[in-house]
Amino acid sequence: MKPVQLSIVVPIFNEEESLAILHREIGEALEAMGEEWSPAEILFVDDCSTDASLHVMISLLRQDPRVRVLKFRRNYGQTAALSAGFDEARGRVVVTLDGDLQNDPADIPSMVLELERGYDVVAGWRKRRHDGFILRRLPSIIANRLIARTTGVSIHDTGCTLKAFRTEVVKSMNIYAEQHRFLPVLSAGSGARVRELVVHHRPRRFGRSKYGIGRAFRVLIDLFVIKYIAQFSHRPIQYFGIISLTTMGFGLLFGVVALLSLGTGDGHGLGLGFNDWEMAVFTVLALVFSCVVYFSLLGLLAELAVKASGMHRRSTLDRILNELHG
Amino acid sequence: MSVRTDSEIITKARHGCAPGGSIEPVDWADDHELDVSVIVPVQSSDAEVRDVVEALGSELQRQGRKWEVVFVFDGVAGEAWDEVLELRAAYGRRVRSISFKNPFGESVCLSAALERARGRYIVTSPQYVQVDPVELRSMLSALDGGADFVTPWRHPRVDPWLNRLQSAAFNLVIRSIIRMHFHDLNCYFRAIRREVLDDVAVYGEMYRFLPVIAYRQGYRVVEVRVRHLKEWGRTGFFGLGIYTRRFLDILAVMFLTKFTLKPLRFFGTIGGAFGLAGAVICLWLTGQKLFLGEPLSGKPLLLLGVMLIVLGVQVLGFGLVGEIIIFSQARNLKEYRVERVYETPPKARHGGDD
Repeated sequence: MKPVQLSIVVPIFNEEESLAILHREIGEALEAMGEEWSPAEILFVDDCSTDASLHVMISLLRQDPRVRVLKFRRNYGQTAALSAGFDEARGRVVVTLDGDLQNDPADIPSMVLELERGYDVVAGWRKRRHDGFILRRLPSIIANRLIARTTGVSIHDTGCTLKAFRTEVVKSMNIYAEQHRFLPVLSAGSGARVRELVVHHRPRRFGRSKYGIGRAFRVLIDLFVIKYIAQFSHRPIQYFGIISLTTMGFGLLFGVVALLSLGTGDGHGLGLGFNDWEMAVFTVLALVFSCVVYFSLLGLLAELAVKASGMHRRSTLDRILNELHG
Repeated sequence: MSVRTDSEIITKARHGCAPGGSIEPVDWADDHELDVSVIVPVQSSDAEVRDVVEALGSELQRQGRKWEVVFVFDGVAGEAWDEVLELRAAYGRRVRSISFKNPFGESVCLSAALERARGRYIVTSPQYVQVDPVELRSMLSALDGGADFVTPWRHPRVDPWLNRLQSAAFNLVIRSIIRMHFHDLNCYFRAIRREVLDDVAVYGEMYRFLPVIAYRQGYRVVEVRVRHLKEWGRTGFFGLGIYTRRFLDILAVMFLTKFTLKPLRFFGTIGGAFGLAGAVICLWLTGQKLFLGEPLSGKPLLLLGVMLIVLGVQVLGFGLVGEIIIFSQARNLKEYRVERVYETPPKARHGGDD
């Protein structure tokens, strides 16, 4: 029996109206891909929907043996739904898709073909978006520019759920806390071959958007985390050492300023010829030097946490990609 | 957190004592799965264990549910222990007991009992009959109806007005901080679906806040109004120490339920605020020096500004370490629980083909 070739992962949260259409369209896309990509599986991850979504999914399951449904114990959010889908996926290629019909399943074949041409990740790019400009598109443009700028990986549209991955890539990455949108960036940082492909984007037909503008600030912090934490975690002591030395530099700068101004005052203060201004500078100096000690200790603490987790001994994405591409 | 199981810590009770009373035997007492496990942490030797077993047991019997009572003796022995031995002889496996040599607190009692409990539903009860046992019917039927956690609301209450006042104030504060509408967090007579307790880690003094944690994690928490029978424990003013501890507990609950996976959001906001305030002060003073020619000396405000910046940077540093800890543990953190996988079994799927 042939193993599963292709896994389509769809996070579902309250999409009762869209599901049947979505399933039909995915079916057509799979049909178009031919025998080579069958058997495929369609993995619906039900993020504890409160409407009739689960019933619809189960009735789809009765008609179509390719469908599998994962029901969450409670609502965990889209990142958890995707990472559950990745954990459960059996195919050698995983395609993720939004449940709200804004992605067009007809794009799946071209993405998978693109992946087969030697890429590890193919990310969808909704070049012509059908969302409001101020609230949805503008923040997204700014965020994506920032992501491209800080990570050095230029991806126009990180928010698009339609993506195709080699299974080895997603299985070796651990995403948590709303990091799903950074998957291509994360993997590219480890040396994965990432490719963008323009996909269709359709206006919302049912229900309403589950996002708002409030996440902009959070995305920024997440961005910082994505950019630096992975690096930090490999050798925390080095990075904290750099911070520590930087603060020490500031401290020395203050010290030099204080020394240069020595004796120019009126001879109050400690009786060493320091004036009030120099006293202030020396206090600042002491505070800054306390930061030097603080960051060194913090670096040691981080080192301890990383060592205790055993992370440094496990196989990482870099190594897997290395083996993949020889 | 789990309990060390060496014989030093847990001394399992031995059988003994004469069977007492006329308790009808049941055929399910030794089943591996029951409907309800009542867990009772015992914290003083004058606990009314017999009353608890008789009141709750007969009510559960009346409802036709298979039940057991698990007593956890939290470093106490004495009269109550002897009584439990008698009960065990009389009820067989329907009454069980665990004993700690030293007191560990309610949370540890609960997790030790959970490891041994056989019920699908867990009912936690104080060591006396605090609430009318008849209320079990509405509480358990709420669980049957799909709720994950049933928390009681003692109304009207029977304890002295000073207690009621403090309790009401406490609950009011919690309500306004957590923005959830629970009236009574201080009553431990709760009915909980077992999976919830497997998912929600209980430790420290978090026992009190179980409904809050469960609610914040997305479980369906339902409040049921119950009839209050009597109240034990401290009366009068609870003292500043207790209030301080409660406040810190609330803080911990807020942090753990919201920011566990994103420590930098929490520390970053706090540190950023401090740093920003410090930067504004320092820039203001520098501006005065540069443009107005006012000397920096003799201005303690400068120190405050620098201190705030240093503080902000240090808090950010904590956030960084937090992120590193979470990142390096990401593989062990499973963020989700799958309740059920629906799929066509492989045989049926390929039945016709091969």
